[in-house]
Amino acid sequence: MTLFAIGVGGSGAKCVEALTHLHACGLIDRGSGGAGRRSLGTFLVDPDQQSALLLRAQTAISRYSDLRDAITDRSERFARGDIHDYGHWSPLSSSSGAVSLDQVFPKAILANQARGLAGLFDCLFPPEEQQADLEVGFRGRPPIGAAVMNRINLEQEAQTGQWQQMLADIESAAGNGEAPVIHLFGSVFGGTGASGVPSLGLLLKNWLREQNLSSVTVQASLLLPYFDFDGQGDGDTGVHAEARSFQLNTDAALQYLRASGPSCFDRVYLVGSDLKARFGFSIGGTSQSNAAHLVELLAALGAREQAPANTSGYAFVISRASQGRISWEDIPEDEVVGAALARGARFAVAWLNNLSLEIEAAQQVSMGTFLSGAPWARRFFSPSGAPTATSGGRPPIRDATELSLKTCIDRYAETLLQWLQQISSNVGSGFEQELFSPETLKRTSSPDNALHKVVRGKARPDRPEASDTVETIKIAMDGLPAAAISRVGMAGLADALWTLCA
Amino acid sequence: MRQSEWISLLASVIAGALLVLLGQNVLFLNVFAGWLAGPGMSLQDYLENASSPSFKLLWVGCMIALGIWYWHTFSRSTRSSTEVRRMRPRWWIAAGLLVLFGWLAQLSFTVFRWQVTGTSPLAGGGVTYYPVPALGWVLLLTVVVVDVVLLFWLPTVLASPRSHRFVVPGAVLLRGGR
Repeated sequence: MTLFAIGVGGSGAKCVEALTHLHACGLIDRGSGGAGRRSLGTFLVDPDQQSALLLRAQTAISRYSDLRDAITDRSERFARGDIHDYGHWSPLSSSSGAVSLDQVFPKAILANQARGLAGLFDCLFPPEEQQADLEVGFRGRPPIGAAVMNRINLEQEAQTGQWQQMLADIESAAGNGEAPVIHLFGSVFGGTGASGVPSLGLLLKNWLREQNLSSVTVQASLLLPYFDFDGQGDGDTGVHAEARSFQLNTDAALQYLRASGPSCFDRVYLVGSDLKARFGFSIGGTSQSNAAHLVELLAALGAREQAPANTSGYAFVISRASQGRISWEDIPEDEVVGAALARGARFAVAWLNNLSLEIEAAQQVSMGTFLSGAPWARRFFSPSGAPTATSGGRPPIRDATELSLKTCIDRYAETLLQWLQQISSNVGSGFEQELFSPETLKRTSSPDNALHKVVRGKARPDRPEASDTVETIKIAMDGLPAAAISRVGMAGLADALWTLCA
Repeated sequence: MRQSEWISLLASVIAGALLVLLGQNVLFLNVFAGWLAGPGMSLQDYLENASSPSFKLLWVGCMIALGIWYWHTFSRSTRSSTEVRRMRPRWWIAAGLLVLFGWLAQLSFTVFRWQVTGTSPLAGGGVTYYPVPALGWVLLLTVVVVDVVLLFWLPTVLASPRSHRFVVPGAVLLRGGR
């Protein structure tokens, strides 16, 4: 079954980034007991094409996608979830190059041909909003976004561009008897998400109805305020998002949801935080580099949820047990989610800070010399350093294809580690998390061994501290029975590490 | 450490002990008697008073070195293959010291011990050392090297634990083909 994730605006993109990491950790695949989802489709909607948040989400998606392309079916358990990147789409792209509201709704033409509408336009939008450059987003103003978003003709978009492939795949998945899920992500307190998520939800629901695709579920994770700005814009920034408007925007969005929600979504997940993280003010573009946040992880977990078939619930919320702290017990399905994220974190640390460095060191010496200090390596790479009849398919450790796969694993693991580091360190003042140790989630230049500190709380594997090391994993790899190593090369090594990091 | 490694270790230690403490004297008496017995020398007496004690001392030295090696490699935590390989020069130093120790033991029990006390080991008196011929010395010094190979290299190459399984010279060749 396929999950189609649509991130709207900067916060939406960050949620899709989180979802990509959850997918990499195997959390979208619910196994035989669930719906058996394996494939994730991602689509980002943002008028701000220079957004650092968009770029970050695209980086995570493309790095995982590159890893999937490189690893194909060469692993048993590591990076098994397929991903399809439908790319990025700007709602301004359907407005023939217009970058401001008075260009999207040509005011001169309106004044000539529909004087009443021009008057209404002036009444709804003050001059500074009409002339604001929307290429950095909808500037925290949902009415601007709603005006632009509601011009979208999905029927028309389905004929071309980025929407075409995704809508075709949704149709195809539904036609194959699957029950695809479209999950939208966005904040309700800013501009792009608050206007885009309900608008797109409504458009999609209508389109699905017209196509008779009743098996497709449309749901959304809506982010309530969870951060504040440290500073604020000045006269030079023009119309901009203001933290003081967040609550007002949220109230308006929730009122809309209460009245019209079911026409936009079959189900919504609402998540926010009373204890706010502090981000530096940015009007948008490359300077908007807010760090990843736990709330985005929780929002992404909404896409995993499966409401019972006969559920009457529409809006789902989440709360934590302790006012000043979040721990694994506060995470939905914490047994499964905790174990998977713990494995991902431990893998990223062990790979980047040890095994990847080992493979690099192996390029400097003969295979015999390397093996004398790394007995585990012979399980995955040719002991002679060359492909021979007796190597059982094990490639040389210097094989270009293997090294290319290593680069893909390195790049994705680094992205995952950075995201984990940010969600565990960027929690806001007066608030603690008992999930990960952020100080361990960093890349080191020399080999590191300890894994026991990476994960905190109940998701931490129950092992003595002294034996919770990469060395122990390497020794275990060396001693694995032949039947337990079905894959060789870099993919086999990553696969074995993934298994043993649990 | 795997069961097979424990068995290899035990087997090599027992085989080494049997050869050094029992088998070697049988070989010296029956195969190399002509190489070792110098003029006026009782080979039986030499084996009892010089050769056997010196090889027993070497055996004890090898067992102590083996114990230190296993204790160190068992308890040592390594972060990388480079760190593991740092044990190889230490292994060579240990093996070299054992050979030197073995040679010194031979010299001590055959020559120095008698010269220090000023007594002659021969029944009729005379020289204050066992007059082992040159070929005998070559044999004794070679056997010391062979004993170090059997008593130190073999157990360590077959059963070095954890990350150090292949660090002993020849281990990759002997055990790395799996």
